[in-house]
Amino acid sequence: MQPATQAWLFAAGRLLATVVFGAGAGWLFGNLWLGLACALALHLTWMLVYLFRLEWWLRHRNYADPPDVGGVWGEIIAQVVRLHRRKRFHKQRFVQLMRQLQRSTAALPDGVVILNAQREIVWFNRMAARLLNLRRTGDLGMRIEHLVRAPEFVRYLAAGDFANPVVVRTATGEDGFLSLQVAPYGDGQLLLLVRDVSRQIRLEAVRRDFVANASHELRSPLTVISGYLETLAADPVLDAELQGPIAEMRRQAERMTAIIRDLIELSRLEETDEVVGGEPVDVAALASLLRKDVLARPVHPRDVRLRIESAAQLLGDEPEIHSAFSNLVDNAAKYTPAEGSIEIRWWTDADGAHFAVTDTGMGVPAEHIPRLTERFYRVDAGRSRATGGSGLGLAIVKHVLQRHGATLEVESTLGSGSTFTCHFPPERILPVARAAAATA
Amino acid sequence: METADLSHHISRRFNEDLERVRSKVLGMGGFVEQQLRKAITALVEGDSSLGESVALDDHQVNNMEVMIDEECSKILATRAPAAGDLRVIVAIIKTITDLERIGDEGEKIGYIASRLATMERPADKYREIKHLGRVVSEMVHDALDAFARMDVESALRVARQDRLVDEEYEAIQRQSITFMMEDPRTIRRALDVMWVVRALERIGDHAKNISEYVIYMVHGKDIRHTSLDDVERELRSPANGAQPPA
Repeated sequence: MQPATQAWLFAAGRLLATVVFGAGAGWLFGNLWLGLACALALHLTWMLVYLFRLEWWLRHRNYADPPDVGGVWGEIIAQVVRLHRRKRFHKQRFVQLMRQLQRSTAALPDGVVILNAQREIVWFNRMAARLLNLRRTGDLGMRIEHLVRAPEFVRYLAAGDFANPVVVRTATGEDGFLSLQVAPYGDGQLLLLVRDVSRQIRLEAVRRDFVANASHELRSPLTVISGYLETLAADPVLDAELQGPIAEMRRQAERMTAIIRDLIELSRLEETDEVVGGEPVDVAALASLLRKDVLARPVHPRDVRLRIESAAQLLGDEPEIHSAFSNLVDNAAKYTPAEGSIEIRWWTDADGAHFAVTDTGMGVPAEHIPRLTERFYRVDAGRSRATGGSGLGLAIVKHVLQRHGATLEVESTLGSGSTFTCHFPPERILPVARAAAATA
Repeated sequence: METADLSHHISRRFNEDLERVRSKVLGMGGFVEQQLRKAITALVEGDSSLGESVALDDHQVNNMEVMIDEECSKILATRAPAAGDLRVIVAIIKTITDLERIGDEGEKIGYIASRLATMERPADKYREIKHLGRVVSEMVHDALDAFARMDVESALRVARQDRLVDEEYEAIQRQSITFMMEDPRTIRRALDVMWVVRALERIGDHAKNISEYVIYMVHGKDIRHTSLDDVERELRSPANGAQPPA
């Protein structure tokens, strides 16, 4: 038998005994009902006392021990104690979990800020407080852009395009840089990650300066070498067996000059920010100029077509645009055999303006396409060395396009040719009417 | 019941309007802060194109001021705010004026920086200006923080800092005079430098003004032309402490 059932039987027995005893005593003294009533009243009082003890203990259960009673009351108390203990156990587990979570986020080397849909601060960790100068008390519920006021960040937040982080200068103290990245989650909530990138930015600057300086320093000795090689090649008394090597040396010196020229151009592109505004560039005229350049090559594809479908002009930096487009056209010319064809296309639509160069060359294997714009990336080692490229052409294209808010798309089928397309956003187009007014 | 709902509705709309204007003010503040830092960097590092871009971008600050000013007028006309709300609007109108002036001073520094970049740089590489520039930009930053947080304590601290800027200004002035006497060929450069230091000192004053508006906004006390110690004593007195911040 279970102890609870036992206790209930015992309680029922006791009630029965009380009734029998009361009735018996009453009958003895001649008043059965009075005796019964007295006995029941006693039983009720006794019950009330237990009820009081139970209630008192429940009220003070945090520091008082449970009353030591048996029977049904004892069973009830035991149940309550069990419930209580289980609840406390769960609560402790949650508190522990919370504390662990909090401690781990606090230990994160990056700052974390949680924002609600109104961009108000809900929570942040210690690192975020340090990096963004937030205060534990009072800053909760404030809008983030009221305290992090860097214009780049405010624009980034307003634009709502959180694919890439935004880098801002630290507001106070030593010159530093913070990288801020927003990750939306849940119901319009935002997670803001803050990283101190001062070291990376400084290293990057050092690297850039190094490349720029090294390129400049290499240029002057190379000019001397090229100069002497030219004189040597033109020397009529040169040994016949030296002519081959000297011609090769001249070719390589030219290649080196091209590499250095491109490196200097790249570091110049990296040094400055996005091109704002810019001059109108006549793409149609530029394209026909590039076509003539191709036809002027000693070996060139027979068919070089122009498909100019728009008279719209492009707003940008003319020399840069020229450099990017001529790199694309040069590449096409280099990799397309004489019997192949090149098509240069310029058109506008709702998405903006597009400049595409299509060739019928050997094509690029798909796995190489994502890495084509890396510096000195070679699809295969022999290929571009033979054609004398610097290996920096597409890197320059990428940088120029980036500075104009444009993107490069590459489509290629191995063996049948490639298409390189530059997509410019609509705000870079000078519409025809305005272009006509500008030239008038 | 209906009127209560309506007034609630109106006050909510009003709060949104107010919050939007406050955001714009702080956005303008952020831009001005950046302009100032860029101008100082341009000067210290001799970057003439950066200095030029600061001078060219100043019109954006002016546009922001006009826009916020218009919005404030609209709020005053349509909502007729009273008490604390009115103080906020008044403080905003004054704050943007000071921010615009800071922008103008920044423009001046940027312009001078682009001119000085072509000249020979002094041996100390404008160390004093760099230091003063940092103090002043931090003052502007802290004043705007105080504005965002409605934080009287920080505002008072900014207001106190102005004295330090004034002292520094005096010191650089004395030093420049010494340089000019030692070598008259540097007078042209030293005069330009004096303009920059003067501009920085003015920016410090504007930052102080902004922090004074914060105190006005929160406590409804105009503390201009009052000694700071008196202000602090008054704000800390129990009679005032009981007054809830607006």
